[in-house]
Amino acid sequence: MNERVQTTFAKRPRTWIANLILTLCIVGLVVYSFTGSQINYNSLAQAGIKFNTMINEIVDINWGYFFGYGDGASFNDGIVFKMLETIAMTLFGTLIGAVLALPFGFLASENVVGKKWCKVGETILVLIRVFPELILAFILVKGLGMTPLTVIFTIGIHSIGMLGKLFAESIDNMDRSSLEALDSVGANAWQKVRYGIIPNIMPELTSVTLYRFDINLRSATIFGLVGAGGIGLPLSLALTNTADPAWEMAGTVLLAIVIMVLVVDFLSGYLRKKLV
Amino acid sequence: MIRFIDVVKTYPNGVQALKGVNLTINDGEFVAIIGLSGAGKSTLLRSINKMHSITSGQVLVDDVDVGQLKGKQLRMLRRSIGMIFQSFNLVKRMSVFNNVLTGRVAYHPTFKTLFGIFPKEDKILALESLDTMGILEKAFTRADQLSGGQQQRVALARSLAQKPKVILADEPVASLDPITTVQVMNDFTKVNRDFGITIVANMHHVDLALKYAKRIIGIRDGVVVFDGPSSEINDDILVQIYGRSLAHNEILGVE
Amino acid sequence: MQVYRLPNGKTVKKPFNRFWIVLPLFVALCVGMAFVIPINWSNIRFAELLVILRKMFTPQNNRTWGDYFAFMLTLGDEIADTLQMSFAGTLIGCFLAVPVAIISASNVVKLKWLSVPVKFFLNLMRTIPTLMWTALAVALVGFGILPGIAAIALFSFGIMGKMLYEAIETVDMNPFEALESVGANKVGAFRYAIFSQIFPIFISYTIYIFEINIRASAMLGYVGAGGLGTVIKNNVMYAYDRVGATVIVMFVMILVIQLLSNFVRRKLQ
Repeated sequence: MNERVQTTFAKRPRTWIANLILTLCIVGLVVYSFTGSQINYNSLAQAGIKFNTMINEIVDINWGYFFGYGDGASFNDGIVFKMLETIAMTLFGTLIGAVLALPFGFLASENVVGKKWCKVGETILVLIRVFPELILAFILVKGLGMTPLTVIFTIGIHSIGMLGKLFAESIDNMDRSSLEALDSVGANAWQKVRYGIIPNIMPELTSVTLYRFDINLRSATIFGLVGAGGIGLPLSLALTNTADPAWEMAGTVLLAIVIMVLVVDFLSGYLRKKLV
Repeated sequence: MIRFIDVVKTYPNGVQALKGVNLTINDGEFVAIIGLSGAGKSTLLRSINKMHSITSGQVLVDDVDVGQLKGKQLRMLRRSIGMIFQSFNLVKRMSVFNNVLTGRVAYHPTFKTLFGIFPKEDKILALESLDTMGILEKAFTRADQLSGGQQQRVALARSLAQKPKVILADEPVASLDPITTVQVMNDFTKVNRDFGITIVANMHHVDLALKYAKRIIGIRDGVVVFDGPSSEINDDILVQIYGRSLAHNEILGVE
Repeated sequence: MQVYRLPNGKTVKKPFNRFWIVLPLFVALCVGMAFVIPINWSNIRFAELLVILRKMFTPQNNRTWGDYFAFMLTLGDEIADTLQMSFAGTLIGCFLAVPVAIISASNVVKLKWLSVPVKFFLNLMRTIPTLMWTALAVALVGFGILPGIAAIALFSFGIMGKMLYEAIETVDMNPFEALESVGANKVGAFRYAIFSQIFPIFISYTIYIFEINIRASAMLGYVGAGGLGTVIKNNVMYAYDRVGATVIVMFVMILVIQLLSNFVRRKLQ
């Protein structure tokens, strides 16, 4: 071999070292995960029996409860109504969140406020984002009571954090050429925003907000499990008796949840494809 | 009338883009600026509407010192100067019609323009500009659905809608194929001849510049090394401007 | 539809803007939805909110700030539980998703009757929120971290399955063809051409899913699955300050994991 080939060969990167360390770490994690305390393996055996009961009862859907008729019940008591209520709360929460996220997005965008200030905006958004939604719902329930406003505000505040970051990214990645042109015709700052920024980012913003609505809807369903209202509430009530859960009720609620989430998932995917 | 008096532009990193430029461009002229990339063509062009500011000297547009202008006065200057860019710089998702209308935003109060309210005369003017460029039928198509040549014509229509006295063009045909290039250069000629608008254009292709512009300004390293009618250009002068004979990508090969 | 007439005689028709149809429909939707929600404005007590916040973030019941912070230190076990649940669940779910994604990707195994139901199944797993799976799992196997692991595994299985089959379907087949053309068999070509494209994506997604799961797993204890959530549930009736302390710990844990995972994912690029 000539000398150049020899030196290149000697200097070749030894990737196997990094790979080995990585594999050891993963194995370590796996071992740690399963040898920890408290995994109660014999309850798995009991689960088998319970599973059978669950499957039998869960598919026995109480249609009266579902639609809200019979036995003196009205539409407002039915699960379908709860479904609509959950969708409505999510809709308003996401809208409020999206509208408020816009100024935050501008504040966190490097191209708008400069490198220093955008860090401030980013940090605020991170803090809002990392705060667990469920805790937020929990706090608001204690404060505002069990009204739909709790869910709306929880979703709204959380969405500000999530959407604010995506909006800022959109603004930073936007095509700037039209801004240059607007500068050259003498547009002022507001006009540049209206004609240069907004038309360029609007489709992305709408798409992202729709996706957020989708995710928020799923979160809204579980807020009921901590008592904040919406469709999760009947489910948590059905499951409170852990010795003998009311599987029919649970099944009815689950059916509604599954239908609602799948339909919205499909619709939002369709709309988002049409936007691009 | 555009005048450059001892204009110097030094960038913060020490590079001197313009080293004492003196020029006068009269109304109605068709001027092409040629030179190597980085010779100072873009800086020269953009200091006319203060898209680039200069370090010393004066740039006078109709006896107004551009360097002193700020804020609203600067915008009022810019609204009467059209600018054409190499990458067209249209708002891609808006219709052609709305793109042309953006040329009028500096003529109206912010409040109205924010809501997209333009007077009827402006809308008719926009459509007329499109008609002059021969693309009236594309008025309500989305801008990014047009070909490159058509987009540049929309940009020209946008400038026309400003009712400008001058149109600055920064390598307007560099992104276009040879046939479309000729069409767009013909459009520039039409605008210059029929409307009396001064055209100052940076050009990459020398033969194109010679064919369409009556006056050539050659820049090398921030200094004007040639300023005269295109008929006077010969190979020796070109070597002076480019420092070498022309590369074959600097000749388009148009007849 | 508007018609413009130019001075030179030509006319231009402006097509109808779809925006003016979509907007009223949307407004109508919002108004309709507003009727569905009964808001009892008199019930709202903002003052109560501030009271709760104060109760959560200041020591109560003759406890001191020392007690407040000392309590945070006792949460070590619960933090470990939460992390364990997330690791185990994510790893199980993600690894199980690999074979399922491969067989359901429409360009590898071309059996439509198989891939459509499997994809639907995966979608179902990921659209049902983890907390809901946990509630069901707790009802089945009882309390402890096992139902938490199961729920996280189910969710991770669904989301990784979907992301993976999408990645497989959009993989660049050119290197695969090139390898076949120099004589490699299908397995060898797969190993070097496709696997090496998918593997980095798999690792990156796993870390991303772990990040999502950590946020959810912190609260799974509220429905009985162990970890920090159980602490909250146990203290929510009488010791709000402990709830507040746990929330702070939870917040810090999630933040640290988020920063770490961003760092690792950027390093992998």
